[in-house]
Amino acid sequence: MAVITDVVCPFCGCLCDDLEITVEGNEIKGAKNACAISRSKFMSHGENRIRTPTVKGKEVSLEKAVEAAAKALASAKRPIVYGLSSTECDAIARCVELAEITGGVVDNTASVCHGPTILALQQVGESKTSLGEVKNRADLVIFWGSNPPAAHIRHFVRYSVTPRGLYVPEGRKGRYVVHVDVRETPTSRVADQFIKVDHGGDFELLLALRAAVRGAKITEDISGVPAEEINALAKRMKEAKMGIVFFGLGLTQSDGRHMNIDVAVGLVAELNHHTKFVLTPMRGHYNVAGANTVTTWQTGYPYAVDFARGYPRYNPGEYTAVDMLAKGEPDAAIIVASDPAATFPANSAKHLARIPTITLDQKVTPTTMLSDVVIPVATAGIEVEGTAYRMDGFSLRLSKVVEPHGGVKSDREVLDMIIERVKALKEDA
Amino acid sequence: MFVEKITVILISGRTSQQGVGLEVGKTSEEYFESVTYIELSTGDAGSLGVGDGDQVKVETAHGSVVVSAKLSDKLEPGTSFFPYGIWANQVFGSETGGTGMPHFKGIEAEISPSSAGVPSLADLVATLKGGS
Repeated sequence: MAVITDVVCPFCGCLCDDLEITVEGNEIKGAKNACAISRSKFMSHGENRIRTPTVKGKEVSLEKAVEAAAKALASAKRPIVYGLSSTECDAIARCVELAEITGGVVDNTASVCHGPTILALQQVGESKTSLGEVKNRADLVIFWGSNPPAAHIRHFVRYSVTPRGLYVPEGRKGRYVVHVDVRETPTSRVADQFIKVDHGGDFELLLALRAAVRGAKITEDISGVPAEEINALAKRMKEAKMGIVFFGLGLTQSDGRHMNIDVAVGLVAELNHHTKFVLTPMRGHYNVAGANTVTTWQTGYPYAVDFARGYPRYNPGEYTAVDMLAKGEPDAAIIVASDPAATFPANSAKHLARIPTITLDQKVTPTTMLSDVVIPVATAGIEVEGTAYRMDGFSLRLSKVVEPHGGVKSDREVLDMIIERVKALKEDA
Repeated sequence: MFVEKITVILISGRTSQQGVGLEVGKTSEEYFESVTYIELSTGDAGSLGVGDGDQVKVETAHGSVVVSAKLSDKLEPGTSFFPYGIWANQVFGSETGGTGMPHFKGIEAEISPSSAGVPSLADLVATLKGGS
């Protein structure tokens, strides 16, 4: 029995780095400090695994599956590489390379989570900080359209609400917590104040807050929020020693999308005339920030990148996976560490069933169920080492705690095999 | 005395149970249980005569699906919550307004009682395969 300490959890953008994983033989026996989802990931990582590579449902060798994948990708005119956010950075780099050598598109799951955030930050910039600074300094914490108990379970205790920090020695008592949302959730019950905003009303409320911070007196209710509540929150924001807005998909997936973030950044910028104020997107997949970072350092752009002309072009709305599939544009797809058949609207997902789709994953998913080629791979952060980026942009090293289930290869190794064969097929052609 | 259907604003999102379930595996019972329901306010469920666990049809301009009703006294009437998953994605559209992001929160949906049965994962994958 061995206990491996300081293990980084490969589930959400919190990348909690204090897990203690107990291993006996090649089996995980315990996951101390893990949240419910993390425990499920570690303890169930061997369940429901894809046993063998398949081509059109028939079991084949890895080499034959790689050959089938390479042929489909090498002969495609408009291939798309999608997913990336639940694997490690070296595998992500291979995904970008694969898009480049096939003249295809590479997109990651940011396009259906914080893609609108990126669009806004590219326009208006960002005031950011580390989660450590939040723990040590933040005395006003605002969760806007986010619900950590559902998606980032230990965020409250590790970073934002209860921890005792250098300048917040009282911990929870030293922080005022606000929750803004269209519905009451477990976050509202933890917060000191819950502000219920009307559906689609975030933009106006953020704009009103900004006006109030600038000195305007709000005299009417905005988006269902009483004027006095808006004026009081603006005052509280200005008087904070350090404030932070942790915003979620409540802003990016509702009316306004990137414009909601644009105005949130404007509010935070305004507040910096009075005090220290920052904002951080609650990134979902544990390495979606890494997918954006790697894709940016390799192509100049964070997602929705097209190599059709041999050089990278960027255009969300055109080269994003949901749009391309809805238009029936791709003639082949390779999905890495993602399940778009379940996570995309059915109108987009169904195109994956019409074209040669290749999927690299650990477990059976709707996407593997409709794929022509399925290749089982090892779990990054449990069976393979690698690097991942936390929601605040810090990179952490993922651990390998057990050998890969059934001796399967990593995403990176399988992608290397596919890239080698695609290059050879392209040269032959 | 009950109404045939109601109109709500539908939002989809994460839940911790959905996270736990998907890590067991998307073919698992845990996952199925975590994503095949819609949360209705007790007031809305009362208007429809729907009890906790009864089946309801969720229909939008983009599609429809049958799932179980889960009653919530925290939700306000007129708002419903659908956990992310392939069931929810039967009713969300692929239009992104040039942003890449579908409208996953804040669309209108009609809810009505149903006895058609909740489709299985395999049923929905078969629909995607046969989709025109």
